[in-house]
Amino acid sequence: MADTSLNTPAKPQERSRLRVALESDFAYQFKKSPVAIVSALVVFFMVFCAVFAPLIAPYNPFDPGSLNLMNGFSRPMEPNAFTGDVFWLGTDDQGRDVFSTILYGMRISLFVGAAAVLFAMVLGVTLGLLAGYLGGWTETIIMRVADVQLTFPAILVAMLIFGVAKGITPVEYRDQMAIWVLIIAIGLSDWVQFARVVRGATLVEKNKEYVQAARLIGRGSGAIMLRHILPNVLSPVLVIATISLALAIIAEATLSFLGVGAPPTQPSLGTLIRIGQGFLFSGEWWILLFPAVTLLALALSVNLLGDWLRDALNPRLR
Amino acid sequence: MLRSVRIAAAALALASVANAEEFTWAETTDPQTMDPHAVNSAPVLGFLNNVYEGLVRRGKDMSIEPALATAWEPIGAGEGWRFTLREGVTFHDGSTFDAQDVLFSYERASDEGSDTRSWFAPVSEVRVVDDYTVDILTSAPNPIFPDSIANWMILDSGWAEANNAVRPDKDNGNYATLNTNGTGAFKVVAREPGLRTVLEPFDGWWDEATHNVTRAELTPIQNPATAVAALLSGDVDFINPVPIQDTARLASNAKVKVIQGIEARVIMLGFPHEAEALKYSGETSDANPFADVRVRQAVAHAVNVPAILQTIMRGNAEEVSQLVSPAMRGYSASMAERPAYDPEKARALLAEAGYADGFSLGLKCPNDRYLNDEAVCQAVTGMLAQVGIKATLDAMPVQNYWPELRADNYDMYLLGWSPGTFDAEHPIRFLASTPNEEKKLGSWNFGGFSNARIDELLPMIQSEIDDSKRQAMLDESTKILQDEVAYVPLYVQPLVWGTQANIDLTQRPDNFFILRWVTVN
Amino acid sequence: MLAYVIQRVFQSAIVLLVVGLVAFSMFRFVGDPVDNMLGQERTQADIERLRSQLGLDQPFAVQYFKFLQGAAQGNFGVSYRQGRPVSDILIERAPATLELAAVSGFLAISIGIALGVFTAIRRNGFAANAIMSVSLIGVSLPTFLIGILLIYLFSVELGWLPSFGRGDTVMLGGWSTGFLTESGLKALILPSITLGLYQMTLIMRLVRSEMLEVLRQDYIRFARARGLRERAVNFRHALKNTLVPVITVTGLQLGSIIAFAIITETVFQWPGVGLLFINAIQFVDIPVMAAYLMLISVMFVGINLIVDLLYFAIDPRLRVDRTAAH
Repeated sequence: MADTSLNTPAKPQERSRLRVALESDFAYQFKKSPVAIVSALVVFFMVFCAVFAPLIAPYNPFDPGSLNLMNGFSRPMEPNAFTGDVFWLGTDDQGRDVFSTILYGMRISLFVGAAAVLFAMVLGVTLGLLAGYLGGWTETIIMRVADVQLTFPAILVAMLIFGVAKGITPVEYRDQMAIWVLIIAIGLSDWVQFARVVRGATLVEKNKEYVQAARLIGRGSGAIMLRHILPNVLSPVLVIATISLALAIIAEATLSFLGVGAPPTQPSLGTLIRIGQGFLFSGEWWILLFPAVTLLALALSVNLLGDWLRDALNPRLR
Repeated sequence: MLRSVRIAAAALALASVANAEEFTWAETTDPQTMDPHAVNSAPVLGFLNNVYEGLVRRGKDMSIEPALATAWEPIGAGEGWRFTLREGVTFHDGSTFDAQDVLFSYERASDEGSDTRSWFAPVSEVRVVDDYTVDILTSAPNPIFPDSIANWMILDSGWAEANNAVRPDKDNGNYATLNTNGTGAFKVVAREPGLRTVLEPFDGWWDEATHNVTRAELTPIQNPATAVAALLSGDVDFINPVPIQDTARLASNAKVKVIQGIEARVIMLGFPHEAEALKYSGETSDANPFADVRVRQAVAHAVNVPAILQTIMRGNAEEVSQLVSPAMRGYSASMAERPAYDPEKARALLAEAGYADGFSLGLKCPNDRYLNDEAVCQAVTGMLAQVGIKATLDAMPVQNYWPELRADNYDMYLLGWSPGTFDAEHPIRFLASTPNEEKKLGSWNFGGFSNARIDELLPMIQSEIDDSKRQAMLDESTKILQDEVAYVPLYVQPLVWGTQANIDLTQRPDNFFILRWVTVN
Repeated sequence: MLAYVIQRVFQSAIVLLVVGLVAFSMFRFVGDPVDNMLGQERTQADIERLRSQLGLDQPFAVQYFKFLQGAAQGNFGVSYRQGRPVSDILIERAPATLELAAVSGFLAISIGIALGVFTAIRRNGFAANAIMSVSLIGVSLPTFLIGILLIYLFSVELGWLPSFGRGDTVMLGGWSTGFLTESGLKALILPSITLGLYQMTLIMRLVRSEMLEVLRQDYIRFARARGLRERAVNFRHALKNTLVPVITVTGLQLGSIIAFAIITETVFQWPGVGLLFINAIQFVDIPVMAAYLMLISVMFVGINLIVDLLYFAIDPRLRVDRTAAH
């Protein structure tokens, strides 16, 4: 959920000046914060690794034909008892190289997270603007739908969409379905906070003089919403989006624990943790530890960045 | 509500007594009812075997032994069976057991609303001869009838009538859903569904008690990791099952013991014999490669069962060549060899059948039904890929799985089968017979495998009294099923139980936990 | 005022009806209850008979209407799995969830506020920054993993705390409580930490930013200028003024604690309604799923309604601008 300070958007100023000020200030703030620099580096590094996973990873864990089951449960850095192969971070029960699997899994986690947040953001901002600006029945309907949405735990939304998607997707697309279902499910459970914040900010903005003035000179509603109000509510949206990204990555992991996550043949980080937790007591700690540490590092860095971003975008907190 | 107050009060009073021989155990699922005739499922029947008894019961080696009946013999030339009942047996509430209770329990268990109805399909009539003699007549000679009723539990007719539980009510429940009155070694003293069920020894039990438990409590724990943690931290005395991957670690821990055995359940791959075409194939959508026996043989040779057993099952399971495990009656010992792992041969067979470049298909799999089912399917996917069959794995919870199989939404599937009668005839009836709704045959034969000789053999097997002739016919059907590769049997699922080091107990192949064989040291 | 209240209550009722309708339309996708209710030896005829007996062969709108009819009379049907009235089961399970939610809510609020105030006052101190960063670890790992790791550490390795369940409970007039026994209290510790960690981080961050905001206000500066002691300024003036939004958000969070107890209850085998719901999904126990969803919806919609009305009562100008505090 968002933070109260999110709802006090920047004071309306002349846009160009605002941007200039923000940018220089932004850069200054960033240089001043070692935490921000380190997290940004970690996030950048991970995104890089995820994007170029096929080039970096020594194996392709998504190709079942390349796996040798006898490589299963190899310990990190030690040759396998049957095959003699050595894996940096060991292998899992299927004989998959954990390092490669993490790289590929990160790719899926980041993609699901980013796409879900984008989906939630577009949906939430649009509906929030409409609700706040138009008011009346539009507002009532949108905000009550938001209530309904809040009522359903994300898990349930995911299960519902999973089931429905299964029913309506042509069979040959089913294997790619899981990823899109996750994106939609997480996105749908996340749009409400965007909508609420944007609506709140819009309510404040729309009565301001500059909006009144724009209306007087005959600007249409759409133009006012897009050109005048939207830029002024964007900074809280950006902060929510960052925090949501971390949340979405975690949510994907949780859904996978409940059995509606990415398929085990194309695992995300969350699926890897779900599989790995089964080996917590059996001594194969590496199957759980490495994906968990990766997830922690990723989510923590994104969260820290979000934290910093919120403070940096809210000049009054400094 | 008042009742639960009383239950809790009783439980509290008991807790404060703190006797030495208390025993707590955890299973994945809670028995959903206390009514032995309402639901035919392993958790229910397994648990109630401690509370109720049948005319016969199974011993530690699964053999049939006397329980409420002391003796039984065939009537005439296979017209039925005569059971001599045990005298001086009382139910937990003190009323005596006699032939009327047997007749009543037959009527109750074979009622329209009872899940155990199918056990009595061969029965034409139950006749009370005198207070302690009952004739059960069958419409055809039925040599294995006494074997098939070990889980048919006897209720007290008077108790059921007094409490308005004359027929099982699965949908709305009745008194017998929550309360029990059996003749077994233990009585239920508290029942909180989904939370815990408390048992105490029954003082008036007819048999000699060999256990030393003074109070036992069953708690369901679904999450396997939580169950293992509970065992390791000493919060429970016994868990079933132990996740396969944790067996070695637990076995090396001095605080706990791991008890392993071979279960009755055979895990196998199934094919869409009847389908016109594959459903999940990009390029082979106009033909069904599995109609060709060579393709089915190729699958059998492509799967490296020893490797699966070595890694995923960690040496805890045994490979199997037919639909029943060696522990079952009627197992065909002469056909114990399963197709060897031979990817070259698999590729050659595929080429012969015209699929030199392989083909793609959809493999369906449950992910919470059998031990490590999803991991096994994943491994199978990899092995098939190595011979050119590109399988896409779709693993799902069991509540979605059966509807999917019923709707024929698969190109290949994973199935586990545990014969309720512990006899090789059982899987032939359910998995290999041509599906026939009227005759209740082939009801789990999703792929619609059909072989005229098998259909011919089944009724003969069912009514053959002579053991060697019967075995010859069972061997013949095993041969047909192997040659035709109706299924690809993979392995027999292991039973892995975990206990504290101070507990002695006996594991039975049907995975029933029998409390009267427990000793707390 | 009255017109507004009526309007909002009316809207809430519609929301509830829609939730129910959506829920019922999805049940058939969850799976088929029939397989779990019939044994291995069932036939197709048995399946169809049971299906029609349960009314599953009817369109979901009809099933929904029947459910509403029953619900209106306080009858939520009979659980497919347990064969008992759903309302009995829910009443039996509710105390476990409510006690867990209460304890983790209390932990989250007390520790969250304390740490929030601390990090706000010592904004640039090392300890405050460390707390801010470390607290993020709690929201950067999935709840189920935190729970499992806690069990591993405190139950298995150290053997200090029970690994599952509620311990011994005592019945107080239909309410089973774990507060009165030692094992009951011990059993509460790990699950409530697992469940409360996320909310704690949230509240801490909220309090911190609210405090920072308030501490900048003129009246605080004025108070300082008047020579009031730092502690008096911080607590009597600043904290007091941050509490309104904190209470609002916490109120809304209470609902989600109960809803998201599902995961914690699954990991710890905590016998509450969340675990009941997960089991119900596994067994496609439609009456239990329906009743649980309605219960959760009533709670969420109710909390939303109360918050809206409170805002309206406090400041009619704001109308329903409560989102500003969310």
